[in-house]
Amino acid sequence: MSTVAEPLLRVEDLRVEFPTEDGVLHAVDGISYDLQSGRTLGIVGESGSGKTVSSLTTMGLTRRTGAHISGRISFEDRDLLTLSEEEMRKLRGNEIAMIFQDPLSSLHPLYTVGAQIVEAVRTHRDVSKAQARARTVELLELVGIPDAARCVGDYPHQFSGGMRQRAMIAMALANEPKLLIADEPTTALDVTVQAQILRLLKHLQQELGMAIVIVTHDLGVVAEMADEIAVMYAGRIVESASTELLLSAPEHPYTWGLLKSIPTLDGPRAQQLEPIPGNPPSLIDRPSGCHFHPRCPYAQPEHARIDPRLETVSGDARHVVACLLDSEVRRRLWRERPR
Amino acid sequence: MSAGEPLVEVRDLAKHFPIKRGVVFQRKVGAVRAVDGVSFDVNRGETLGIVGETGCGKSTTARLIMRLHDATSGEVRFDGRDITRMKGAELKKVRPEMQMIFQDPYSSLNPRKTVGSIVSEPFAIHGLYPDKQARRRAVRELMDTVGLNTEHYNRYPHEFSGGQRQRIGVARALALKPKLLIADEPVSALDVSIQAQVLNLLRDMQRRFGLTVVLISHDLSVVRHMCDRVAVMYSGKIVELAPNEQLYSHPSHPYTRELLAAVPRARWYRGASVS
Repeated sequence: MSTVAEPLLRVEDLRVEFPTEDGVLHAVDGISYDLQSGRTLGIVGESGSGKTVSSLTTMGLTRRTGAHISGRISFEDRDLLTLSEEEMRKLRGNEIAMIFQDPLSSLHPLYTVGAQIVEAVRTHRDVSKAQARARTVELLELVGIPDAARCVGDYPHQFSGGMRQRAMIAMALANEPKLLIADEPTTALDVTVQAQILRLLKHLQQELGMAIVIVTHDLGVVAEMADEIAVMYAGRIVESASTELLLSAPEHPYTWGLLKSIPTLDGPRAQQLEPIPGNPPSLIDRPSGCHFHPRCPYAQPEHARIDPRLETVSGDARHVVACLLDSEVRRRLWRERPR
Repeated sequence: MSAGEPLVEVRDLAKHFPIKRGVVFQRKVGAVRAVDGVSFDVNRGETLGIVGETGCGKSTTARLIMRLHDATSGEVRFDGRDITRMKGAELKKVRPEMQMIFQDPYSSLNPRKTVGSIVSEPFAIHGLYPDKQARRRAVRELMDTVGLNTEHYNRYPHEFSGGQRQRIGVARALALKPKLLIADEPVSALDVSIQAQVLNLLRDMQRRFGLTVVLISHDLSVVRHMCDRVAVMYSGKIVELAPNEQLYSHPSHPYTRELLAAVPRARWYRGASVS
C-alpha cells in the first residue's frame, strides 16, 4: 500500500458490558483498531479475553443479549452500532460474513448443506432457485469440496469436520463479502485439514480482496495468516504490531508469556516450559491498575494502582503496548531472556 | 522381571468395532478397524508419545492397554504378565498400577463429589487407608503434591478452573502410586497460558515418582516437548516409531512429514530465538 487508504473497518473505543447478577461483566473494555481491504488482522487471546465478543459485536450479534455497547464500529461510511436491525441484516452475510469455530453446531442439521447455502445467496440476491443452486455448486467447488454437484444434497452429518468447515466458508463467501470474520476457524480441525483451510482462506482473500479478522488463541495460526496482530487480555488490547514485529520484538510481558509457554517444533527443546502463573482474571472483578499485574513477574507495587494506556513504542507508529515498565527495560528483559 | 524389560509390550493389537444394521435383530454388516495390528514397547521410566489425527486409533490403543476395551486380537503384556484376557480379582490387582488422565477436566470429575472424595475414591475402591484420619492425610498430601491448596478439600469441581481441575485428575491418578500413567490429550481443553503449568506438573510427577508415561496428543509440539520416543498413528496403524530427535529432524514416513509440514509456526519468533 503506497498511500494510506481509508480503512474498511475502523473500531474505536468499543466497549461491551453485560449486566449480571454478580455485577457488570466488562467483556470488551475500550478496544480500537483499523483494517484495510485485502489485509488480515489476527486477534489473539485466551478464553475470556473478549476476542469473540468483540467480533460478535461487529456482526451485530450481541445486540439482543442486554449488553451495553458503546464506541464506534465504522464500516466504510456507516457506523454499525447505529444501524437498525433491518439494515444490519442486509449487511450480515452479504458485505460482512462470519465463520464460527464449531461447524457442526453452526449448520442446521435438518437442511441439506446446499439448501443452506442457497438460502444465504437468495437472502441477499434476487436470483432464481436454479441460479442460486448453480452458484452454490460453484462455491462448493471453490472451497475444494470434491464432487460438489452431488454434495449439495448431503446433510451436514454426512460431511467430515473439514468439509463442514469448508461448507461454512462457502456460505460465508456466497455474496463475496468485503469483510470476513473468522472466529477460531480451525480449532476443531486436525493439523493437515487446518493447513488446507488456512491456505484456502489466503487464496480466496487474494482472489476476492476481502479483509479478514481472524480470532484465535493459536499464535502459530496468526503468524501464518495475519499482517498485524492484536493481543487481548481481560477485554483490552495490550499489544498490537505487525506480525513480524510482534513475534520478533514483543514488548508486553503477557505476549512474552504466551510465546514462552508454548512448546515449539523448532529450536532446542526447552527443559521446562515457562508457564504464566495464575489464571485469567474475572471480568466482573478485575484486578486494579494493570489487569495483568497479579500474573506479571515484573510487576512493581505501583502497577496495582496505575492503569496503563496503549502507547506507541519508539521506532514504529503501529506498534503499541500497554505496559507500565519502561520501554528500555522491556527491551533489555526480552533481549536477555533465558533461552 | 528385570529392570531392563519394557513395562508394557504391545503385540499385534487390534480392535474392530462392529457396524450393525437393524433395529431388533441387529446383524453385523462390517467393522471399523480402529486399531489394526499395532506393536510397540513402552520402556520403564520413559515417556512415549502417540500422535495422530482424529480417528487414527490413538485413544483406542490407550484404552486397550488400560483394559477399558477388550482387544479383538493381539496381546498386551504389563510388567511381564499378559493382561489382555485377565478377569476379576486378578485384573483388579493390576488396575492400580495403571492410571489415566483424561482430556476434558469438566466431564471427567463427578460434579457432586468434593475434591477430597474424588481423590480418595481410589483408596476406597482398593481398600487402602481404612483409617479415616490416615486417608484424609494421604489425600491432603496428594493435593499438596500436585499444587492444589489443601484447604480446598471440601470444594466441588465447579469451583476450580480448568487447570486446577486437571490437577485434581492428576492427584486421583497418582493416588495408587501407579507404574504407568496414560495421559489422553491432557492439555488440549486448557487455555494456552495454563497448558504449560499442567505439562510441567506431569514432567515433575514423572521424575519424582519414576513413572512410565504414555502421552496421547494431536499436538506435535507438545509431544516433542514431553516425549522420549514418538509413535505416529494413521488409520489404526503405527506408521513410524522413532526417538524424539530423529522423528522431528529426520521423519522417514511421508505421513509424518505431511503432519510436521502442516503445523503453522511462529516463523519470526523462531528466527529471533535461534541464534
